[in-house]
This record gives sequence, C-alpha cells and structure tokens, in this order.
Amino acid sequence: MPVFAIAKINLRHNITFHIEVCAAILIITPILYGTANLDTASAAAPLEMFLSFIGIVLLTPVFAPEQNPGTGDLVASKTVSTLTVYLIRMICAVILTILLIGLFSAYMRLQKSDVTLLLFIGTVANAVFLGSLGMMTAALTDNTIIAYMIPLVYYALNYGMGNKLGHYFLFSMRASDFEPKLWLLTTGILLVFLSLIVKWYKKRLQ
Amino acid sequence: MIFGKELKKIMWGIPYLLFVAVVTVALYSQGVFHFGDEKILHPEPGGTYGTKNEEIPELIMPAALQSLYAEFQENLYRTYPFGLLKKITLNEQEQTRIAEILSQITGINTNEFQGKKETSYSNNEFSIQIVGNGGLQAEDDGSFTISMDDPAIEDATTEDFPDLTVREDLSYAEFKALMQKADDILGGGSEYAAESLIGFGTVPVTYEEALDRYELMRTRDRVTGGYARLFSDYAVAMALSVLPVFLAVIMGMKDRSADMSALIYTRKAASAKIVFARYLALVTAVMLPVILLSYISNVSVWDMYPGMGIDYFAPLKYDLCYIMPSAMIAIAVGMCLTELTNTPIAIAVQGLWWFIDINAGMRSVSASYALLRLAPRHNAGTQSYFRTQDFIDNFPRLLANRLLFAGLSLLLVIATVFIFSAKRKGKINGNHRLKKTLAGLRNRKNQSQA
Repeated sequence: MPVFAIAKINLRHNITFHIEVCAAILIITPILYGTANLDTASAAAPLEMFLSFIGIVLLTPVFAPEQNPGTGDLVASKTVSTLTVYLIRMICAVILTILLIGLFSAYMRLQKSDVTLLLFIGTVANAVFLGSLGMMTAALTDNTIIAYMIPLVYYALNYGMGNKLGHYFLFSMRASDFEPKLWLLTTGILLVFLSLIVKWYKKRLQ
Repeated sequence: MIFGKELKKIMWGIPYLLFVAVVTVALYSQGVFHFGDEKILHPEPGGTYGTKNEEIPELIMPAALQSLYAEFQENLYRTYPFGLLKKITLNEQEQTRIAEILSQITGINTNEFQGKKETSYSNNEFSIQIVGNGGLQAEDDGSFTISMDDPAIEDATTEDFPDLTVREDLSYAEFKALMQKADDILGGGSEYAAESLIGFGTVPVTYEEALDRYELMRTRDRVTGGYARLFSDYAVAMALSVLPVFLAVIMGMKDRSADMSALIYTRKAASAKIVFARYLALVTAVMLPVILLSYISNVSVWDMYPGMGIDYFAPLKYDLCYIMPSAMIAIAVGMCLTELTNTPIAIAVQGLWWFIDINAGMRSVSASYALLRLAPRHNAGTQSYFRTQDFIDNFPRLLANRLLFAGLSLLLVIATVFIFSAKRKGKINGNHRLKKTLAGLRNRKNQSQA
C-alpha cells in the first residue's frame, strides 16, 4: 500500500498552507507573551492558550480535499480506499502536531523555562481535542469552513466559562491542574476515530 | 432582487443554522438570558454599594510602594503581558535598578534595600548566626538542634520590612514616572505601569454615589439600556467580532466550489451591485438573530420595573450602534480576503485579530473604548448600576471607534468590488496568478540547472 506516497503528496499539496499558518502561530507566540525564564505555571500559558490552535489548523481539514465532488469521485475510483487516505492524513496531522509542539517546548526549555513533560502532553491533549471537534464537525457537515468555527467557539467558551467546563476546561495547567488533560486527550482520540467512522458510514449510505 | 436571492442563499442551509446555534450558545454561556435574576434595588442607607477605582495619590502611592517592595524582596514580579499572568524573576543588575527606584521613592539608601534582600535571599546560600541564650546542641544521632530562648530575637527576623513611606517632597507625577521605570524594567504589563496604577486606588462607593448611579440608570439608561449594553458587551467580545467571518467565507467559497463564479461573472448586474447586495444580505442575516436574542434577553427584565418608563427600543439601538460595526468588519474582512485569494485565509486573519484584541484587553474588561479595539468593552452589571456615568463620559470615544470600524468595513467592501470587477474582466484570477508566477520561477530555475 503506497502509504508513504500518500503521506508525501498530502504534505506537498494539501497541508503546506496549514503548516505555514502553524509556523505563524509559533513565531507570534514568543512575540506576544515571551517564553524565557518562565516557571511551570507561567510556561503553561503560551503552551495551552496559543499552541492549542495547531490542532485546529492541522486536524480539521483532514477531509477537505474530497469535499470537491470531482476530487471525491476520483479518489473513490482508486484501489486504495478513501478511508485509508483519511487515516494516513489524520496520522500525519497528529504527528505534525506533536512534532511542532515538541519543538516549541524544546525551544522554551532552551530559554530556561520550566517546561515539563506533563505540560507538553497537556498541550498535545488540547490540540488533539480541539482538532477532533473540527474533524467531527467536518465529517457531519462536509463543510471545512464551518468545521473551523466549532473548535474556535469552544475555545472562546473557555474564556467566559472557565472552571465551569470541568473536565473539559482547556486552560487548567495554569492552575497546575492536569486532570482535565486526560479527559481531553481521551475524548479527542475517541472523536477523531468516531469522525472517521461517520465518514465511512456516510460513504456506505451513498 | 439580488439582495433577496443572496439572503435566501445564506439563510437556507446548515451553516447558517449552526452559526445561529453557536452565537446562542456563546451568549448563553455569559448568562445574558438570565438578566431577570438581577433586579436593581433602590439604595438604602447603611448598605454596601461595591467599590470603585479612583486616582487618589495618597492611596495609590503607599499601596504601590508596598507591593513593589514585597515583590522586590521575593524577586518574583507579577506582570500581565497580553492579559495573561506571567511571573518574572530579575537578574542582579535589574534588581539593583529596582532597588534604586525604591530608594528614590523612599529616600532610603539603595544599599539598605539590597542588604535586606541579601539577608533574606542570597542566591540560596544561607548563613545562620545564633545569638541569645540558645545554642547549637549536638544530639546522640549526630544531628544538631538549634534552640532560641529569647523571643525578642525571634521577632526580629520577621521585621525585615522597614517602615516604608513615600518621600514627602516626591510629587505624584514623579512617583508615576518612577513606577513606569519599574514597569519598563519588568518588560511592561505590570501593575506599576502609569495607566495601571489606578488599580491601587480602590475605594468603597458611598451611599450618595450609589443614589446618583441609581438615578442615572433610571433616567439616562431608562433601565433597559443598561441591560442592553451588557448584552452588547458580551455579544461583541464572544461572538460578533469573529463568527460572521465564517459565513462570509462560506458564501465566497461556495461560488468557487460549485463552479458558479463564471456564471456570476456573466451577469448583467454591475459588480458593485452584486458585491454590496451580498454584503448587505450577510449583515442582515447576521444581525437578525442577534436582534432577536437581544430582545429575548431584555424582555426578561421588563416586568421587573413597573412604572419606570423603560426604553423598549434600547436593545435595537445597541444592536445597531454597538454590535453591528464589529459584525460589519468581520464580514468585510471575510469577503475581501476570500475574493482576493480564493482561500479561507480570512478565518485565520480575523481569528488572530480577535484573539489578540480579546487577550490584550483582558485587564480592561470592565471598560475599554480605545479607537482600534475590535471589541470595545463596558462590562458593568447591576451591582455597579451599569456605571452609566462612565459610559456617558466615554461615549465620544466609543462613537469614534464604532464609526471607524463601520467606515473601514465599507472601504474593504469597495476594495472587494474592485477585485471582483477585475476578476470579471479576466485581469486577475485569485491566487492563480501567484501560483503561475511561482511556477514560472521554478521553471526558470530548472532550465538554468539543465
């Protein structure tokens, strides 16, 4: 199965623009907040509040290329199933998310900020959860633009509702609470796979 | 005609339903549909009426000085760059500069401040000098026990803080300038910044002031105006400064994905007519549910104030004058960038703008009317009687802000007309031209390599 070929084409043609947006997030973060000499609680702010967006940018458009009916029909005529293509794209997006957050965490450590492994995992959890909200919306509505709206609104809700969101509060690491991250990561992974199932089921119905 | 078709196209579909649902949820999370639980009562003597911040030098100077000294001793300063808490530790040189500022404010020698600091925290190295009747006693297991019999000596260790007072000959202006210096050393965003010092001037609201506030709320806001303003504050911050961009982008991309662009280009209607009709349709579609929701929120308080001559049009006035310019700019950015690039880049641009605006203004949520604020704030509820006087005082600034955004959005729509028109004439074709240029560059490179 041409897994690497699909991944390579995906990187070259589908997510170049999204990677550029992620790069912009990584560049803007130290400018807006400053990432040097931070204790654990302060280091959590740029990670969970800024870098979480990477998940929205990379995971939400996993189903985007096939939204064009022409492309969708063409991909469907290939021997490799569309679901496999989605799966490869999703794995690529998750790996890239982990990689970018990891690189930024390492950069913060170089700047003598107290970035722990838990902070890194917590940030990945946020990103995967927000991205999975986007993926699920895209799977249900077949509209990537509207799919970006849902995670963004959920992010905004965290400003207004804060702790009221309980296990699903995105900014808990600033108060040294890591428990919600477990919930976010688990739910995120479940939603990612559920969105793939939704896509598969919708295709079967067709 | 075109307007009607566009409006139908926007409102007929899942994206619009989701948009309305999301706006409703975002506003519900802020409690705007529970205003009925918050009735304003006539102030009674002997009660408490909340607090307010005032620029009273006699109050601000000692409080700010104590705060700076306490943070200097710990070498842990609280700053809020971009609205978020960030604790800062200074290096030795910077600490000396803070000590110099403390010295200039109090008249106490710089060395004395540094001496106190070194006694308490000298780079994690502690030297213990035992005096008094106690002593160091060796135990059987090889450990040592320190005993201290003289309570006077024990107390002396807690008296590290000197009796700090501001020099009598130091003016408030000089004090502010020195505190600003401290803020600069901390990298900005601290409570010592000249404009933030007022935070140290917290005083209780008096009964007379509470009465004045109540009267203003009754006569100027006619009660419902205050509630409508609070609704608008949440609406611009949480939803209408960013969410309309999604609808604008969806509409722009819809033509492209359905291959309708070529068909639209051949229409007889003028470019300006087509673009403005779509813009007006989008603004209408966005504002209709907002107006409905604002009335749902406001109606809940109408029967709480019988015989008070409430303003039934207050929600509509605030919807159109306070909320609409934010929605207009979000839609205009969406239309213009989508038309220009044929990509959803507008979502990233507007999202980033909203993110920066919300966070940068995090510390001035209660009141912020700066000219360039995407989401101006006046977050005053029933407990502060909606702070009507503050609103009246800052109304010209808010008006300038809203007019600027409305004007800016119209300029962007005019730019969209030009882009649309150029595309129609085949002069530009979205990002295809850019791609062509890049492809050309690549080919030239390949040729030279060959």
